[in-house]
Amino acid sequence: MRRRRVFSPVHLGAFVIALLVALPLYWLAVSSLKPGAELGSLPPRLWPQNPTTEHYTEAFADYNFARYMLNSLLVATVSTAGVLALSLFSGYALARLPMRGKRPILVGLLMISVFPTVSVITPLYLIEREIGWLNSYQGLIVPYIAFHLPFAVWIMRNYLLRIPAEMEESATVDGAGPTRTVLQIIVPQALPGLFTAGVFTFTATYTEFLMALTFNSEDAFRTVPVGVALFGAEFEVPYGTIFAGSMAAILPVVILVLVFRRAVVSGLTSGAVKG
Amino acid sequence: MTAHAWPPGRTRAARTRPGGRPPRRSRVAWWYTAPTLLVVALVTIFPIGFSVVMSFSRVELSSSGFSFTDWSTDNYAAVLQSPVWREALVFTVLYTLVSVAVELVLGVLVALVLERLTAARGWLMALLLIPWAMITVISAQLWSYIFNSAYGAASWLLGLFTDEPPVILGTPASAFSAILVADVWKTTPFVAIIVLAGLVTIDRSVYEAAEMDGSGPWSTFWRITLPLLRTTLAIAVLFRVLQAFGIFDLPFVLTSGGPGTSTQPLALLGWRVMFQNLNMGAGAAVAASTALIVFLACLLCLRAFRAQVGEEEVR
Repeated sequence: MRRRRVFSPVHLGAFVIALLVALPLYWLAVSSLKPGAELGSLPPRLWPQNPTTEHYTEAFADYNFARYMLNSLLVATVSTAGVLALSLFSGYALARLPMRGKRPILVGLLMISVFPTVSVITPLYLIEREIGWLNSYQGLIVPYIAFHLPFAVWIMRNYLLRIPAEMEESATVDGAGPTRTVLQIIVPQALPGLFTAGVFTFTATYTEFLMALTFNSEDAFRTVPVGVALFGAEFEVPYGTIFAGSMAAILPVVILVLVFRRAVVSGLTSGAVKG
Repeated sequence: MTAHAWPPGRTRAARTRPGGRPPRRSRVAWWYTAPTLLVVALVTIFPIGFSVVMSFSRVELSSSGFSFTDWSTDNYAAVLQSPVWREALVFTVLYTLVSVAVELVLGVLVALVLERLTAARGWLMALLLIPWAMITVISAQLWSYIFNSAYGAASWLLGLFTDEPPVILGTPASAFSAILVADVWKTTPFVAIIVLAGLVTIDRSVYEAAEMDGSGPWSTFWRITLPLLRTTLAIAVLFRVLQAFGIFDLPFVLTSGGPGTSTQPLALLGWRVMFQNLNMGAGAAVAASTALIVFLACLLCLRAFRAQVGEEEVR
């Protein structure tokens, strides 16, 4: 084993990495607290001279940020629940049950999960226009479920493959049907897999932009990314307000990812990965 | 149904059971998989087909709905001849190659640091997850402030070394670099964590043997670490390439595809043709050709995908 020194290249490297990752985050936080005049001051101030929460008040009182956040949370939560419910059963079948055509199904799902969204956006737009789903919650939730299912199925399947089969067997001996077995025996054991799939789906749907921009452009149905992207007047971008709203908006995903960071890392390292 | 009509456990065991494979379990399997397949087919596969049909026609939008007329390959002819499309293709390909290369090199470096880090590794990993979970549009707004020509921190910093502060988003090359910086910040952590997972699976004894043979750290890295990371790197590259090829959010907010259309990726071009020019057929042709390129790339990588599935023996 190597001896630990106070100053090693590794520590220096770690310090540089941490600095480079943290600096933009720090700038976001500190800029949200600067009054308008200081946002444009040169040289830029590392710390606000007169810190203010006025931008937070603006974002939530004068602008619709609360609504955007509510929309995002609602759409992401319902989509995640749908994805988990569907992927639990299909992932279980693909991992544990005898079935023809597993390989084409799995490969097909993997390919769909990396397909560019832009290639399906117009037909979906036309269909949603036809059935009156533009500017609605279901108009985002249904495509979100469909597009994030393939990856979740992969995570669930990979996870379930590793769970020993003994518990299922004893449940069957006790006369439990397949669905009761899944709900009572598999779910508790598959919780880490469900967390991983859930965090990935929630993060992806909470941050999704292209579909939200195309389907839900009306102010009342905008999600956070759409609200942030279309924010501002023609000539002056109100950065302070945007940053204040953004700080609040990223809080749910940041907390979620940090709380479940083991689940995220295991998902990222499971091989089949979508950022 | 007999009691062993639903025996869980390994299929191989079920197969060797007297009486062959019980029929009921495979029916249950289809019931469990059907909803997923149905949703995916209806909302993803069907629209992909729809998109292809649309790209061969003229789409008329009316207040009551839409209709297809004029079956032809005009859309594709128009797209292929369009200099804007060619510019978007060049930008997208170039951007994909450069960004993935930069992120791969930096990602490996970060992973090497993470692997050797003993204290505070968990903290650094947690910090790295924040850019990954960041809403791209928000980071794009942040970078547009940092790169702002009048009062951006980066412009000010660069201005200290030049006669007059540069207009970072004002020239094609520097706008490209700006998008690259924003993307590298967000995505390198993702590559690093995947690479780290590959690194930790390498047996320490391999390194010890190399050291005994007098291999220095540099040659150990090139001759041992890197070859052993091949599969991991292939997966990281594959997913990053596919993602980078569909890039939309970052240029939409940071550069609006500009200056001019120099940083306009295929996805943004397709979206604009469809939803700003309302030329659905031509937009669909752009989208379908993008999808075709991705599909061909996928076919090329199918071996890699198959290897993935094969690792744990599909039962």
